[in-house]
Amino acid sequence: MQIIQYVIGRFFVALATMFGVSIVIFAAVRMVPGGFEQVVLGPLATPESRAVIIAKFALDRSIIEQYGHWLVAAVHGDFGISMVTQTSVTQELIRRAPATIQLALMSLVMALSVGLPLGVISGLTNGRPWQRSLGRLLGALGASIPDFVLGSLFLFVFTVWSLGPTIGGYVPFFEDPWTNLRAMVLPAVTLAVFGIALILRTARDAVKSVMIEGYIAFAVACGERPSRIVRYHVLRNAAIPIITVTATYLGYLLGGAIIVEVLFSVPGVGLYTYNGLMNRDYAIVQASVLVAAAVFIAINMVADTIYTLLDPRISAQQRAS
Amino acid sequence: MYYLVYDTLVTTTDDLKISPGLAESWEQPTPTTYIFKLRKNAAFSNGRPLTSEDVVGSLKRLVDPKLGSYAGRQIGDVKSVVALDDHTVKLELEQPNTAVLSVLSVSMTAIYPMEELENGTFDPTKEMLGSGPFMVAEHRQDESWTLVRNPHYWRQGYPIVDKLLVRIIQDDTARLAALRDGSVDVANFENPDSATLLKGIVNVEPIVQKTTNYFRLDVSALQDNSPFKDIRVRRAMALALDRQRIVNAVFGGESAVDYVVPQAFGKPVCRDHQDYVTPREERIALARELLQEAGAKDLKVGIVASSVLVTFPLIAQVMKASLADVGIEAEVQQIPVADWYQRVFSAKTDFDLALSWLAGYSDPTQILSNWNPEWVGWSAGFMKPNAEYNNTVNEVRQLSDGPERDRAIEKACQIIYDQANILPLISKPDYIGYRKDKINARFSAIEGNFNTLKYITEFSRLD
Amino acid sequence: MRRRLTSAVCRFVSFARNDRLSGAAALVLVSLLLLSLVGPYLPLGDPEGIGAGPRLAPPSFEFPLGTDELGRSYLPRAIQGISATFLLATTAVMVTAIIGGITGMLAAYKGGIFDGIIVRIADIFFAFPIILTGLLVTAILGPGTLSVLAVIASATLPMFIRLVRSVTLAIAKRGFVTAAEVAGASTTRVLFVHLLPNIMGATIIQLTYAISIGMLIEGVLSFLGIGVQPPQASLGSLLRQGVLYLTVAPWMVFSSGFLLTLAILSINLLGDGLRDAIDPLRTRALQ
Repeated sequence: MQIIQYVIGRFFVALATMFGVSIVIFAAVRMVPGGFEQVVLGPLATPESRAVIIAKFALDRSIIEQYGHWLVAAVHGDFGISMVTQTSVTQELIRRAPATIQLALMSLVMALSVGLPLGVISGLTNGRPWQRSLGRLLGALGASIPDFVLGSLFLFVFTVWSLGPTIGGYVPFFEDPWTNLRAMVLPAVTLAVFGIALILRTARDAVKSVMIEGYIAFAVACGERPSRIVRYHVLRNAAIPIITVTATYLGYLLGGAIIVEVLFSVPGVGLYTYNGLMNRDYAIVQASVLVAAAVFIAINMVADTIYTLLDPRISAQQRAS
Repeated sequence: MYYLVYDTLVTTTDDLKISPGLAESWEQPTPTTYIFKLRKNAAFSNGRPLTSEDVVGSLKRLVDPKLGSYAGRQIGDVKSVVALDDHTVKLELEQPNTAVLSVLSVSMTAIYPMEELENGTFDPTKEMLGSGPFMVAEHRQDESWTLVRNPHYWRQGYPIVDKLLVRIIQDDTARLAALRDGSVDVANFENPDSATLLKGIVNVEPIVQKTTNYFRLDVSALQDNSPFKDIRVRRAMALALDRQRIVNAVFGGESAVDYVVPQAFGKPVCRDHQDYVTPREERIALARELLQEAGAKDLKVGIVASSVLVTFPLIAQVMKASLADVGIEAEVQQIPVADWYQRVFSAKTDFDLALSWLAGYSDPTQILSNWNPEWVGWSAGFMKPNAEYNNTVNEVRQLSDGPERDRAIEKACQIIYDQANILPLISKPDYIGYRKDKINARFSAIEGNFNTLKYITEFSRLD
Repeated sequence: MRRRLTSAVCRFVSFARNDRLSGAAALVLVSLLLLSLVGPYLPLGDPEGIGAGPRLAPPSFEFPLGTDELGRSYLPRAIQGISATFLLATTAVMVTAIIGGITGMLAAYKGGIFDGIIVRIADIFFAFPIILTGLLVTAILGPGTLSVLAVIASATLPMFIRLVRSVTLAIAKRGFVTAAEVAGASTTRVLFVHLLPNIMGATIIQLTYAISIGMLIEGVLSFLGIGVQPPQASLGSLLRQGVLYLTVAPWMVFSSGFLLTLAILSINLLGDGLRDAIDPLRTRALQ
């Protein structure tokens, strides 16, 4: 019962945050030189279309009414028309979403399948000091190397030598899976390195901190099998921080893959947004920021909910603070 | 893209002379009358034969003041355009215009299928239907165009390839990679070092194609807060420019100082002005004098260099160094393309200097028209119309080629240099790379109409 | 003063001895900082001197890191780049640390509606994807250093508020704070005399991470061409140019990429080390 209550409460918090986000974006777009009118109209609009838009967004009314109209349109998925291509921004976003989502999923799978086992193993074992230092150095390196530096290195290596993966040349996965994967592997790896380092480190620390808890010693003393201890006690209790970073990482992938998409010419949402900015197509920028923030908030809400299920104490603690 | 799907009445040769296109021949019975004989076997890709009516309709549409097309204005006032028979078109102008054939070779004057346009089955803003060598099979916004051969193309046996995939790759590095891994056979580049970059790839032949286009500098002369409102400051700035330094520093010598009439024309006009012939030390001294006279001390100016071309910010940095020699402090403003348009080409301009480039086409009148803000529109925000100049250009338009015309051109150029409002800088070559192990290709040495891959119909696969 | 300094040095030496990796990172960081401070005065050449050598020349005795696309010596440019990147990141982060710190402390200490509002605002800003926000901010302010500072600030401010608030919450109800309140200390006094020293440790750790995030943001924006404007160099803008000449002049990307990674790596390692040293038992922070 408490959990349902918590989930509902969490949902309203998310909604409130989203509401705030929308106000900030609304205000920000209005501060852009040229202003909102130009954002939704474009400079080449005819007087007739101008009148239609002014009526639609209530541009002749008070700022609060304008916000209301804008919000209603946004909630209905209407983010306006792209100035350059004269197409619906929403449709373009939907068309480009698969590339970005695929990239995010590939990176997430790589990050989890490499980072998680390595992290758990290094949390369970205590290596020699030099091994620990080396591990720490490599982990920090993975977390520190900026994606555009790593991407540039890949670009160099794979431009100079033909090694299989291609740069650019994206085709939708269901059209030609092999060509698609060849084009997507480099950007995915570029994004995954940071995730591997992040998840490895979190998993290691979480496992370590669980290992010193009393119930592990108790379980060992009771003669439980090590595999069972790891599965039932360690992983279950270490899951919370791992889920948190995974959620943050997924949010980052869905909202921040711009550089990698630009670098590797992946025609996803990030590249679309970047071009939108370069073309002063603020309808696109506004929509992408709003969508990315919504995705981020939703992911965090889901993560919060998952770990409330894993550990009911959390909700009590959170309410206390 | 346009040249792949559409045809123009005439086209240009490698040395920028007019050659037959859809019109297999033409004559000029009087200075203002042109009679075009159309190819009898030309047809649109939907199979309908191309007739005089399509040409008449397209030309009328072009010069229709309501549509206000720039190419239309270049043709001048049209007295009449009529079909003499199914394959003969007569174009009669109010005044003679030496450049008219050059204008008719530009993609903007392509011939549309008028029947389909009029009955509403073809919308040129949404689709492409022409009589050119290819037709569009599929288009994916920002990704690719798939073109297949137009089975009704007039030139028998061409295009040689059946299918053409045009991939849109924004990034030069990614284009390079695509060329390298063989996923594209030919690519064009913008980076001045493309030739060097391409040389490092096996089986890729780098081509530097001369064009009649050049980089230019727009100077804000109308804005109240622009120091260049004062013609003396403009002149001083023009004197301080060091074009050869840009050629060396940005292009490693692989470009050339350019003049109002592009040097690629091979016409020795417009070169004799103090901006070009006076040694730089003397120019600097002259510039300093002018600045002092104008009372301009500690000038701080901005150079708008849009990031749309990698070369703009590079040229701007060299200019900054040159302007520093006369005590003008410049700030490079590397801004997105749309901000550049807004600040320079809108009614309310907000800039001091801005880098851009100009299309040279194939006749001097086409390029000279750019200095008439009322004509081109885009420069109206930073340049005043000049009656003397406009009269001179009109003269150039009406005179036929010869020393008299050259004298008029020279006069127009001197006005341009003295006004220092839009200045030619250096020529802007195109860079192409192609896989010589995979395709057989040839390219024109000089291109005036952006038809970078003019001979694409003759390309053939080797594998 | 001198005693304090000596004791700080001693503490650092013992810290570095216990944790060699962080010690080394600190050393690298200090040398990079020194380089960026004294670099402009070293006789290495003019970072903006066009045509000092041939274009895109490989590293040589005269040009230790080669030359760039305008024939400028790359070494002084790289040093100018580190200095710009460091300066922008630290300036922005210092300002947000102070503002965020005070706001966070106040929110936790005062509680109630004020706290609720601050937490919501921090959450809202936290939800914005950093790079996209950066694009929007540069659209408003125009490309340049001002935008870079604003983006770094808007990205790091919510982190500071959240952290300082949660740390303050944990200590605000402890005995010594209550004692001070009972003794009639003003809010300012409680905040700065009693609370501040106790949250310093956590804030400094957060500061190191925030600086590395700041450097990353500078890098991204300048890499996209909307950050630091040429001819001034930053590590991000150097990388941007470097990528264009990747195959003919790879030293450009290698050297600027190496420097940026090295700087961020050492800051992160130092932050980890400080955290372990200051608060060895605490579970590692998750943000």
